[in-house]
Amino acid sequence: MTAISRTWDQLTLPGKALAILVPLLLFLTAGAVITILLFGGIVWNAILDHLEIVRLFVAVLAIVLIFIPFAFVIIYMELKIIARMNLRIGPDRVGPWGSLMSLVPGLKVLTKEDFTPTKADAVVFTWAPVVVFATSVMSALVLPFAPGLFGADLNIGLLYFFAVGGMTVVGLLMGGWSSFNKYSLLGGLRSAASIISYEIPLTLSVVGLIILAGTMSLNTIVEQQAGWFTNWYAFRQPLAVVIFFIAATAEANRTPFDMTEADSEIVAGFATEYSGMRFGFFFFAEYVNVFIVSAITTVLFLGGWNAPIELPWHVAIDINPGAYGLGLLFIIALVPVLGTLILAAPIYAMRSKTRWWVALIVGFVLFNVVAAGLTLLWAYASFDVVAGLLWFLGKAFALVFVFVWMRGTLPRVRIDQLMGFAWKWLLPAALLNLFVTALAVIVVQQWKGGL
Amino acid sequence: MATTYPHGTHKSADDPHVLLDDEYGQYEPIPPYPPRTERELEFYTPGDGEMYLNMGPQHPSTHGVLRVVLKLNGERVVDIDPVLGYLHRGVEKLCENADYHQTISQLDPLEYISSLFCEWGPVIAYEKLLDVQVPRRAEYIRVLSGELNRIASHALFMGWFALDLGGLAPILYSFIERDEIVEMLAALTGQRMLFNYFRIGGVNGDLNHDFLSRLGDWMSRAGKQIETNLALLNENEIFVRRARGLGTIDREAALRLCMTGPNIRASGVPFDVRRAHPYSIYPEIDFEIPTRSEGDSLARYLLRMDEVKQSLRIIDQCLEQMPDGPIMAKLPRLLRPRPGRAWAAIEGPRGMYGAYVISDGTDQPFRLKIHDPSFIHLQAVGALLPGHLLADTMAIMASLDPVMGGVDK
Repeated sequence: MTAISRTWDQLTLPGKALAILVPLLLFLTAGAVITILLFGGIVWNAILDHLEIVRLFVAVLAIVLIFIPFAFVIIYMELKIIARMNLRIGPDRVGPWGSLMSLVPGLKVLTKEDFTPTKADAVVFTWAPVVVFATSVMSALVLPFAPGLFGADLNIGLLYFFAVGGMTVVGLLMGGWSSFNKYSLLGGLRSAASIISYEIPLTLSVVGLIILAGTMSLNTIVEQQAGWFTNWYAFRQPLAVVIFFIAATAEANRTPFDMTEADSEIVAGFATEYSGMRFGFFFFAEYVNVFIVSAITTVLFLGGWNAPIELPWHVAIDINPGAYGLGLLFIIALVPVLGTLILAAPIYAMRSKTRWWVALIVGFVLFNVVAAGLTLLWAYASFDVVAGLLWFLGKAFALVFVFVWMRGTLPRVRIDQLMGFAWKWLLPAALLNLFVTALAVIVVQQWKGGL
Repeated sequence: MATTYPHGTHKSADDPHVLLDDEYGQYEPIPPYPPRTERELEFYTPGDGEMYLNMGPQHPSTHGVLRVVLKLNGERVVDIDPVLGYLHRGVEKLCENADYHQTISQLDPLEYISSLFCEWGPVIAYEKLLDVQVPRRAEYIRVLSGELNRIASHALFMGWFALDLGGLAPILYSFIERDEIVEMLAALTGQRMLFNYFRIGGVNGDLNHDFLSRLGDWMSRAGKQIETNLALLNENEIFVRRARGLGTIDREAALRLCMTGPNIRASGVPFDVRRAHPYSIYPEIDFEIPTRSEGDSLARYLLRMDEVKQSLRIIDQCLEQMPDGPIMAKLPRLLRPRPGRAWAAIEGPRGMYGAYVISDGTDQPFRLKIHDPSFIHLQAVGALLPGHLLADTMAIMASLDPVMGGVDK
């Protein structure tokens, strides 16, 4: 026993981790193999029988997982862009250009104490972050990321989005109420007031779009905007875009409407008493919300996955690796080596000081960059999914940039100004937009019918 | 004075004056003793639908360690009870046990944002007691460094005010200017914040190359830079809409509260100690006293920014007219002023700093009373806040620009 414990003590931390993980993995693999051999057929048949349900489960899992890197990217964007706007450098230590910086607070919240205050309503307190996170992520289930790449294509997709997205306020109110803290309470009530007020112009502003589109399925709405960018609904419903974007900012609790967590007034609002991973959930949900709001604006008004211009010629790169036969092996073996050498040669020749191995390393990195770029180009030209995903993410992150920009620039509005703006300006404007759109549709139909 | 009870042990039955039962008192910002005054009884008796909110001393934006108990109705402030003394260091008492030179370094941290002005008032008062004529070059250096410190203080005010209204960027832009000035003054005085630079009868060191080169570098672009920074806020619709009409105080009320400095000038009273009771070389310098009549937070903010421009003018003139000569008057090392009393007032970035000294003929002041504008202005908060929203409390407080070091002394 002593021998084992001494050996164990001498191991480094990675060594200890490996000593646990490797046997565990072996054990699990053996178990999985045996299970598949014994019950594989039954399970496979069950999966085949209920493919729709399995697809939904996989989609839900994928959406929950995909938003973690998205949130990290947005946090990094916010750190870096606001730093640049404030004439600072921002994070530059963790990872290249500080790009792994957002992982550090992510890991930090995991290690912190999960604290529940005295007199807090423990059950509600625990479930509030779950509700907030789950609702914001689940509202993304209907988002079409690319042709054929979506969680679920509901015929009431937009309605689902607003319904589930609006549930966030329940979570915020739960957190604010159960914390046993007046700052939290004020934050929760503020969020309830502002989100419910802004829900109305938000929903009304897209009713005109629904009249034009004739459907609430987000996939169909995106398909209707195919072709040149003039087909986007942003150009047919210009007022609606503005109303929608402003109301969505308030929905996502972002500056200048971040009354909910106004740090100079009510400390951190509903999240004042939260610590550890529960706070992490709130924090995540905020950034996930930013992305989702940008994404839904993209889908509804900016053409979703469609490219803004329609190329007059059709680019198709037809590569059939099977046709090369044995030559393929030679290509796979030789191209990396040759590419590295070719790219390293000028770097070695340019400066006599450069060591040969430094040149080789630089050449290898360059080759990888070039290869990745070429692969991406090929994938973009060959697969609609890749092209659509790139356009969709590009547009969505451009809008995320606008959110970050607003946060870096604008002060916060007061709660009465916030409410006044929603009820006195946005709501009438949304109603006007709806009225004009409906009138135009009727007139056009009458005119066509008359002909 | 009633006995202080540990939390949760006092019972209403034991003491008829105890208003609140255990549970309530334990989690509310209510003193654990029965009310001592009529005012306490009135404030700590909650009306219908009212609640107490404890703000500070550890709150992100109370500008130091001010604690305010707010009585709220919804989000609207009904009444406030400021609790002072979290930063009390007994500076005045310390000064009674230090000799005249040592008091200057004791007085520095009173207002850590604009330390030179904390030194300036007492130093003039001591000079009055000693009948010292300060060399003209020393007076010019005092005015020059003082005006630089005023700009630094106002730059910080701009950032704070915007931060309390929720804007993140302005404080970082204003800190650029402040940092330049602070580094400049560090080159002159040897310290970044607590300068300890003025001496009885002059200043500690002459202008040096480091200071002058930094100053010339900064002055060449200061005007333009400040205009750029101001555009960040003055042209921001949200900022202007929030600051306008916020915490309005009219002329009579401001006079009744004994307000001075930018706060009273924003209410339409053109009172500036530099012109009203001239000291140092200010009579020889050409500058205006900006005045506004609105009396709201926006006016107070804009007025301070106008003052920055005037300060730049004063610095220009100081550099132009700077005479040669000594920077210290001839004085014995141990100062024993004649028995008597002296009062001196100067115009600081927050208002009138006054110093009242009583000498008993020894080398230590018998009594030193500091009249601090922050303390006077903080009184106005009680009159300004009720009726405003919770979101505005910090902004109104910031627009009065108090520094807790000066309030608690």
